[in-house]
Amino acid sequence: MKKILALILAVCLTIGCASTVLAEEKTYTVGILQLIQHVALDAATQGFRDALTEKLGDRVVFDEKNASGDSATCSILATDFVAAGVDLIMANATPALQACQAATVDIPILGTSVTDYATALDIDNFAGTTGMNVSGTSDLAPMQGQADMLHELFPDAKVVGMLYCSAEPNSVYQINLITEMLTGFGYECRNFPFADSNDIASVTQVACDECDVLYIPTDNTAASYTETIANVTIPAGKPVVAGEEGICSGCGVATLSISYYDLGYATGLMAYEVLENGVDISTMPVQTAPNAVKEYNAEMCATLGITVPDDYVAIQ
Amino acid sequence: MDLVKLFNAFPGAVSQGLVWGIMAIGVYLTYRILDVSDLTVDGSMATGGAVAAMMITGGADPWLAVLCAFLVGTLAGLVTGLFHTTMGIPAILSGILTQLALYSVNLRIMGGKANTAVNVSKYSVLVTSRNVRLLSADNPIVLLIVITAVLIVLLHLFFSTEYGCSLRATGANQNMARAQGINTKFGTVVGLMLANGIVAFSGAMLTQYQGFADVQMARGAIVIGLAAVIIGEVVFGKIFHSFWGRLICVSLGAIIYYLVMQIVLWLGLNTNDLKMLTALVVAVFLAVPYWKSQIKPKKRGA
Repeated sequence: MKKILALILAVCLTIGCASTVLAEEKTYTVGILQLIQHVALDAATQGFRDALTEKLGDRVVFDEKNASGDSATCSILATDFVAAGVDLIMANATPALQACQAATVDIPILGTSVTDYATALDIDNFAGTTGMNVSGTSDLAPMQGQADMLHELFPDAKVVGMLYCSAEPNSVYQINLITEMLTGFGYECRNFPFADSNDIASVTQVACDECDVLYIPTDNTAASYTETIANVTIPAGKPVVAGEEGICSGCGVATLSISYYDLGYATGLMAYEVLENGVDISTMPVQTAPNAVKEYNAEMCATLGITVPDDYVAIQ
Repeated sequence: MDLVKLFNAFPGAVSQGLVWGIMAIGVYLTYRILDVSDLTVDGSMATGGAVAAMMITGGADPWLAVLCAFLVGTLAGLVTGLFHTTMGIPAILSGILTQLALYSVNLRIMGGKANTAVNVSKYSVLVTSRNVRLLSADNPIVLLIVITAVLIVLLHLFFSTEYGCSLRATGANQNMARAQGINTKFGTVVGLMLANGIVAFSGAMLTQYQGFADVQMARGAIVIGLAAVIIGEVVFGKIFHSFWGRLICVSLGAIIYYLVMQIVLWLGLNTNDLKMLTALVVAVFLAVPYWKSQIKPKKRGA
């Protein structure tokens, strides 16, 4: 029985290879594996598609899959792409990247919306390139810029509360980074992790009671429940500095924001280099967001009586 | 051409099905043998993954890692068992409570990080999705079949012992079992420990297979486990009647679950609708035995 199965598989593989050779005009199939339906991740995927479509026109076919938040589904979708023999995989978010990296050493993988590649792929002595079939873009927000911004807006605050979801490794990573920077300014930082949407309100309440300012990193869960957070912070009169525009427009006063669309777009340009110009992906350095903009939430600032410097742009 | 894609994707579905089949065997022990609905598995599977990830990245032998995952899993089952038997909390609630607590425990195990990578290129692992289409002994399917077979043999031997039989009696009819002098409370605890040990073991395998452990990795695992049990019974129940045969059914059920998923994906379903489809598939398999029972009496009457 197993032999027959093996035989069938072998035949299938041969046919698969043969038909790829026959297709002479260079059309590329690109698999997109996105972890979950989410505004920021959707924007990154869109940017990626737009960049590649602009460059290659109809010579690129996208196979877009969404794991609906199940990391185990990521794995099966990743082996799917490998089985289908796509030319390149774009992995959107950390578990998606990990599942793809476990599934293939041959097909080039570009990550996006991944904050720290060294942690995500467990690479020692990471210096920009992964040395394997993986590269991509990091959504690490300009942390020093955010720390500077918090200090610029709230120089008199004493205690800064870090509000984030404990299930998100990227958030913990950012919190550790910015805590160090803020401590340098003389702030005391306290962590307020919540496990899921059910305890956001109560954790936020405690944070408001104990702190002068709150900081929320680029946290997917927090991004989905900004209203819940705002409902606590506004009555408490506590301002929130956010890691990205989505969170800021919901419950924050200001942010130094990166655009996930631009991030995806940059990833798309990298994909073009790999596909069309044959650049070796293992030597491509991981890129960070192109440009960051100081933004503020006009309505929230008015409610809390905060005035921001002139170089801030209001979020539409 | 399209059909080729489908066939190419089958090995991935089969190996993933085998991993979840191990987990489903754990679910079968509680759901069918003990007649307890145990929801601990959503947490204990991730616990197994977390333990394995931390040990493997710490340099431990992967076999030792999966063994430890099993042992830690039994502890999770012990907690649920104690909630249920000594504190009088209904089984479903006990499981939910343990599952909830395990979230924090799993975070602690992984040193406060929600996600730990197990890079296949760096550590020796037992199974990996990377080799899923290799025609050699390194293919994870080979080892997973062996492990499943060994597990089924061990369970068969255990449940054939006098104590194993008393456990089965506990699930079949608790009052009768108690009348025979069986300590049903202790039996339930032992069953829950064994089941969650197996579930954690499968979590440890999944972590190696997919290359990472995540604190949310087994969210909804119970649904897949139950689906495997039910699908196995509906499709193969007529063929296998023995205890070990039933366990094979469960493993096959999990494989079918993933094959169906694969076929549906191949048909071009938008992955956004995958959850709804999963629910529908399970509902249909759950309904089949009921429909059969509705139809049969009519035939006899006619």
